[in-house]
Amino acid sequence: MQKLFQRAALACALVILIAPAPIRAHGFEGDRFFPPTPLTDDPFAVDELSLPEIQYNPASANRELDVTGSFTKEIFPKFALSIQDTYVNLNPKGGPAQDGWSPLTLNAKYQLWEIPGHEFILALGSDFTLGGTGSKALPSYQYYTTYTPSLYLGKGFNEFPDNLKYLRPFAFTAVIGYDLYSNAAASNALEWSGSLQYQLDYLQQHVEDIGLPKPFRDMIPLVEFQMTTPTNRSAQPTTGTINPGVLWEGQYCQLSLEASIPLNSRSGPAVGGLFQIQFFIDDLFPKVFGHPLFLGDNK
Amino acid sequence: MNLTKNLFATFALFLTCASLAQAHAFLEHADPKVGSSVTASPATVKIWFTMAPVKATSNIRVFDAHGTEVDRQDLTVDPHNDLLLSVTVPKLPPGAYKVSWNAVCIYGHHTSGTYTFSVQPPPP
Repeated sequence: MQKLFQRAALACALVILIAPAPIRAHGFEGDRFFPPTPLTDDPFAVDELSLPEIQYNPASANRELDVTGSFTKEIFPKFALSIQDTYVNLNPKGGPAQDGWSPLTLNAKYQLWEIPGHEFILALGSDFTLGGTGSKALPSYQYYTTYTPSLYLGKGFNEFPDNLKYLRPFAFTAVIGYDLYSNAAASNALEWSGSLQYQLDYLQQHVEDIGLPKPFRDMIPLVEFQMTTPTNRSAQPTTGTINPGVLWEGQYCQLSLEASIPLNSRSGPAVGGLFQIQFFIDDLFPKVFGHPLFLGDNK
Repeated sequence: MNLTKNLFATFALFLTCASLAQAHAFLEHADPKVGSSVTASPATVKIWFTMAPVKATSNIRVFDAHGTEVDRQDLTVDPHNDLLLSVTVPKLPPGAYKVSWNAVCIYGHHTSGTYTFSVQPPPP
């Protein structure tokens, strides 16, 4: 495991150092910045690096610790490719610990429709979870590939009138995807997730400077949800979590801390939590990242 | 715990590679303040940014309620503080005003934003 992490760190550094054109971790639509959130993929095809996202549920039967890394690169204007993997550590009570990589996931995304004046964006994309690429030691191992075509939405509430101006910092993002398996025996499923955010930085910078001191002015209280609804085996109920938490945006990175509340008993036995660091790699490496690899800078 | 050690090693390697240069200029604060109501017309509209914008490719524009630009288009960088940009405005009559700013850093990364302030009518 130590060698794997060392290799991952080296690979990350190499990718960043040799990439011929700039990462842009910042997704703007009009005045609105839509931050990447832990459970809801944001609708922007921009350069991003999440390393790591740590999710831990000490109360679950498996006491599962997930460490996820993902990297997204804008290839053409408004089109990006990403790669993601998770290292899973299981420590079941009364049983042996199990470690291993989850299946490798690739993603392609295109920003289809943008209305900056209404802080609106719609993107199309798909996840490709590659069968046979994960550790066979894990119970979640699958030998078949999953395709998840998805819609990504982002909307800010800047249209509220002056007498409701304190509602303007609200924004939401959503992802709706459908799992299609290369194994016909597997049950298809609707994947739906979203975030509702109250952006204190938006309040300070675009609505009213109420004198919030740091670090509070850089915080975003939010609630996320992440759900899975099986579609061709109707007896299976929807499972998922509701995740209240807070983001803090720094100049170079963003920290996220969320509780993870199971929707029902099938979703988990108890409340867990997750922590994510998202690096703004266009600020860390401004000469290298922040533009598409090909066809110039459309920003 | 090896996992924790390796995570810290990954962070350290990553941050060592980083140049720690800033690429985006955001609004830190402004005068008149964002969303404020002032009792007299300001002589200048000032914005302090989180990093120094490039003057040649940045701007601050002030519009009245009819959408007419009212600033003198004389963007100035404070000689003692390159984070502070300003434009002068003539005496503004009471009303609502919209400030639109664009900032481009030395690496060419662009940010922009808008906010409003208002000038109150004089007391009777």
